[in-house]
Amino acid sequence: MNQFQYVRPTQQRTAITAVAKDPNATFIAGGTNLVDLMKRGVMTPQKLVDINRLPLTKIEHQKNSLRIGALALNATVANHQLVRERHPLLAQALNAGASAQLRNMATVGGNLLQRTRCPYFYDVTLPCNKRQPGSGCGALEGINRMHAIFGFSDKCIAVHPSDMSVALAALDATVLVSGPKGDRSIAFADLHRLPGDAPEKDTTLEPGELITAVEVPDGHFTRYVSYYKVRERASYAFALVSVAAALDLDGDNIVAARLAMGGVAHKPWRLAAAEQHLIGKPATEASFRQAADVAMQGAKAFKHNEYKLKLAPNTIVQALKTAAAA
Amino acid sequence: MATNPETDLPPTNHDEARRSFLRQSSLLTALALVPGPVVHAASAELDETVAAAFEKMPLKLEINGKKYKFSVEPRTTLLDLLREQLHLTGTKKGCDYGQCGACTVHVDGQRVNSCLSFAVMHEGKKITTIEGLADGDKLHPMQEAFVKHDGFQCGYCTPGQIMSAVACVREGHADSEAEIREYMSGNICRCGAYANIVAAIQEVKQGGQKV
Amino acid sequence: MKAQNKQIGTPMNRVDGRLKVTGAATYSAEYQLPGLAYAVLVGSTIARGRVSSIDTRAAERAPGALAVITHFNAPKVPGFAKGQNPSQPPTAGQPLQVFQDDKVRFNDQPIAVVVADTYERARFAAGLVKAQYVQEKHQTDMTVGTRQAFQPTQARKNPKSPVADYQRGRADAYQTAPIKLEAEYIIPTEVHHPIELQAVTAHWEAPDRLTLYDKTQGTIRTRNDFAKEWNLPEANVKVIATFVGGAFGNGLHSWPHESAAIMAAKQVNRPVKLVLSREQMFTMVGYRPYTWQKIGMSATPDGKITALTHEATGQTSTYEEFTESTVQQSRMMYAAPNVNTRYRLAALDVSTPIWMRGPGEATGAFALESAMDEMAHQLRLDPLEFRLRNYADQDPENGRPWSTKFLKECYQMGAERIGWSKRPLTPGTLRDGDWLVGYGMGVGTFGAHRSKAQTSARLLPTGTVLLQCATTDIGPGTGTAMTQIAADTLGLPPEKIRFELGNSQFPTAPTQGGSSTVNSVGAAVQEACLALRDKLRQLAAASNSAFAVAQKEDVVLADGYLALTGNPAARANYADLVRQPDDALVTVESKPSEEQKKYSMYSFSVHFAKVRVQPLTGEVRVSKLVSCADAGTIVNLKTAANQMKGGAVGGIGMALMEAATIDNRFGRYITKDLADYHVPVHADAPAVEVLFVNQPDPHVNALGTKGIGEIAIIGVAPAIANAVFNATGKRIRELPITPDKLI
Repeated sequence: MNQFQYVRPTQQRTAITAVAKDPNATFIAGGTNLVDLMKRGVMTPQKLVDINRLPLTKIEHQKNSLRIGALALNATVANHQLVRERHPLLAQALNAGASAQLRNMATVGGNLLQRTRCPYFYDVTLPCNKRQPGSGCGALEGINRMHAIFGFSDKCIAVHPSDMSVALAALDATVLVSGPKGDRSIAFADLHRLPGDAPEKDTTLEPGELITAVEVPDGHFTRYVSYYKVRERASYAFALVSVAAALDLDGDNIVAARLAMGGVAHKPWRLAAAEQHLIGKPATEASFRQAADVAMQGAKAFKHNEYKLKLAPNTIVQALKTAAAA
Repeated sequence: MATNPETDLPPTNHDEARRSFLRQSSLLTALALVPGPVVHAASAELDETVAAAFEKMPLKLEINGKKYKFSVEPRTTLLDLLREQLHLTGTKKGCDYGQCGACTVHVDGQRVNSCLSFAVMHEGKKITTIEGLADGDKLHPMQEAFVKHDGFQCGYCTPGQIMSAVACVREGHADSEAEIREYMSGNICRCGAYANIVAAIQEVKQGGQKV
Repeated sequence: MKAQNKQIGTPMNRVDGRLKVTGAATYSAEYQLPGLAYAVLVGSTIARGRVSSIDTRAAERAPGALAVITHFNAPKVPGFAKGQNPSQPPTAGQPLQVFQDDKVRFNDQPIAVVVADTYERARFAAGLVKAQYVQEKHQTDMTVGTRQAFQPTQARKNPKSPVADYQRGRADAYQTAPIKLEAEYIIPTEVHHPIELQAVTAHWEAPDRLTLYDKTQGTIRTRNDFAKEWNLPEANVKVIATFVGGAFGNGLHSWPHESAAIMAAKQVNRPVKLVLSREQMFTMVGYRPYTWQKIGMSATPDGKITALTHEATGQTSTYEEFTESTVQQSRMMYAAPNVNTRYRLAALDVSTPIWMRGPGEATGAFALESAMDEMAHQLRLDPLEFRLRNYADQDPENGRPWSTKFLKECYQMGAERIGWSKRPLTPGTLRDGDWLVGYGMGVGTFGAHRSKAQTSARLLPTGTVLLQCATTDIGPGTGTAMTQIAADTLGLPPEKIRFELGNSQFPTAPTQGGSSTVNSVGAAVQEACLALRDKLRQLAAASNSAFAVAQKEDVVLADGYLALTGNPAARANYADLVRQPDDALVTVESKPSEEQKKYSMYSFSVHFAKVRVQPLTGEVRVSKLVSCADAGTIVNLKTAANQMKGGAVGGIGMALMEAATIDNRFGRYITKDLADYHVPVHADAPAVEVLFVNQPDPHVNALGTKGIGEIAIIGVAPAIANAVFNATGKRIRELPITPDKLI
């Protein structure tokens, strides 16, 4: 690992300026992904701006939403009374991610900004447009078992690894950021981007922009929820496919639904059409299956991930069944 | 209590030179703002001892109840600091990427992977390692339970398992076998002593001793 | 002294447990030596070709850098120069001689080692080394390799070689039978991945004296290898491996990183520590080879196997022929009249494999025991009943009697504990809520090997008996078992026994592998204790006639003195006995007798699995495992059960998740760490119930042991695969059984 300069500002403005003015600088919070990537030479920042002294850890209910500070730890959020009561789907998704130790280190902001786990991204000797624009996509014709079936481009077929983000996408969260040009809020769906011709850009954040909080609007998804994560072992593994499902039920009738998928695209994949399809339908396996079929329209597989065309809809059905039975 | 074990470490000439440089400097924190870490030093072919001084930062930690002052490179992980500089080798390196849990320590009472954080990020914090868990010669109840239930084979993942197990009970995540398994899944035991580890944790939890 | 088993058979706590739970146990990267330097290996980024140039200037100029060694400047290694085979490979070929030529034989082959004064600086400098290559076309694809498979050299030279073709009755007789099956099975490359990274600290204590703190399963083997490599007398090389953080076989061979560290230490004239990264654990210290297998089997309608053919092709490197006993179980497990086996190798541009727990037998059992289940299903027979109908009462391979075989007892115990009667004959018919439930079984066997071993025993003035042996303990609890054996043999409490291991300067022992340590070293410990007692009796007899006429068995070693049963007056104090320091020291060599060749000696196991399968998502959870072992005398019920449970967990990994994958375009692993290469975590491990027959085998050694380590895993993977079939009706013949294969 290269040497780097390390600063630990206590003022948000100082931190933002430090990163905004230096293209080789980056924020570090929990470090659980960045330190890993630096050890492998995938990321080589010359300057780390440690933001852990900034006062961004608060979790509080304001007006019509739950505001979660960007530096709140994943474990803290998952165990927080307000989160468990108002957004159990978020708590489930957080607890499905990583390990107890990592959840004690990783922050909400950092979780959103995780880089892909694509093996071609991780090995600096292999081609990867995300790591090294123009070098090619190793996964396109390679071992693409873990890769995208939606929203990919011929430049990149990687998937976003976060579980928490899948729940936040389903819950219509808003991301608050602060940058050199001031503060703004970003609808969750607009935070992460599709690879297109610039897979090196994971998000729509501008240089120096710092995530300060996430707001999750109040809703009726407090009971019939399920974060269903299919992985290759029972815990502590990234998703093959995961589904965040939330239902608002009136008896057996679906009043409202939220659905998002992980492990299938470069960003958390919200299933709006499938949600629409569910409204007014009975909460039965047949309805869930129809919604899953709607959700899968436009999916396309590669050589090694054809199974996702079947696993993804099945997991949607299973998540909805689990949510309805909760 | 406020010892400075830095002087206990076997000094190399480089360390000595760096320390004297640091003592002379009245603006220690300003060091962090000095541009030009190693790459610059190497390309400019600076005198290596001078460059080394610029590479390091002061750091205060309390480890197992003892206060330490260090001068460390920001790129030194907490794990490597413990193992290579303090010789607290009970904390193990198993993967170096946060994927096995062998490096688990407590920072301000919370279990974390020491391999995935830079030591400088823990300025002023309290670290507990496996070496600091027992009360003198008296083993911690979790250590006792691991011996009794044979919660290990080769012993390499054991310190991490024990640190994690203590935290698991403290967090209130040890109420059932299934819950223990889920909340201990960040600690891999390749020898496969899992069932015995779970039994040890259950005994401690049910025994109700203070952990 | 009448040997009474007071300790053997009890669940005694480990003698080194306290060291392990306090972090005080010292592993090979944890020795503090003055002036210690750090080495980091640089690996090739092509799979085959030549290194045309290496730019090391930036690395050499990096802060703290002490040396950069490549094939352009590597010191001469005398053993390499001799062109002999310095590291005694387990089979034919020439182990990689690191930094001796420009040839690249596999991706991530070490091409340079960088030494610096700190770990961070060594790692940074290593990243600055840049190599240029002349690339050649590589082949890492086993589907191609299998088509070009060849017979191992040792089999071609020697038809009696264990890996030579075998035949009794007619070859391939199944092909013409009315009831038959023919099926292909694949296991992918699996990696040992002990949690301790492979590490060695090399210290030249003098220009001709080398000490290695090394992660090895055999201090003597490692000593001999590097003594030969550096042309040193064996006595000048010391290998320390007091604690080994798991190995599972990867410490059974000497590897390039060890040579590199020794070379680096020589070059910088300081002790050098080299720890592999997790990525390098895939490429530099062996693995379980990708293996293709085919089983042909025929049976009568009433369930008698008439013919069995087992073919296997395992992956190896281009420079060494690694072989293992993949097809052995098919030769001796079932009483079929027509049996033949063929074992082949496929040489690829990869590093050399090495035995991994249960080695070839575990691979082979996946094919054989899956096929047994398939045939039982075809015959509409209970798989346990099918196995009973083909039970071999003597070894069908050579006609010899078994030394002991209690496999039927294992079947019975295990079937009862798992609830075998609940297993539906028709697959896919048992449910628990949304989940499908199934039961499966798999049988394992492994030779009860014993080789010669030495141990010394010394009575100390404190009354403690100190035993020393060069053996290692990679986790089974060797020191604990030996303490129990010695305590019972001498009639002492275990606190009065100290067993020291993991040092090549102690009396010679075989490597810890092949489930043979208690069989071999245990026998040596027992004999050393008896020899010590005899020697003390003789010493006592010189001054005390009561001892001269006493029966051996009546001599008792009490707390620091010698006494006679039934004669309270007779007593010889330590000071009376020991005039010269070595008076109270014996060193024995224990070896198997010719008598043993009359028997076929095997340990046996059967594993029963209950699994749940989510039909929509293909998730498999093992909800219960029952492992039953016929392993002879069980020395320590606690550690032995632990070892069995660990094997079961290893089998879960094999069955459900473990696979190292190469992108054949680059000839490079894309599984590079423990996030890509999954091993079981707590949540994957069910309650494992372990049952031992615990009947001594009178022929392996006087203790009656047969060995546990391998049979703990052999047969587990097929038990799970068979249970998955029973749950779903889906027969998965290529491991691991990941969700995609079941939906």
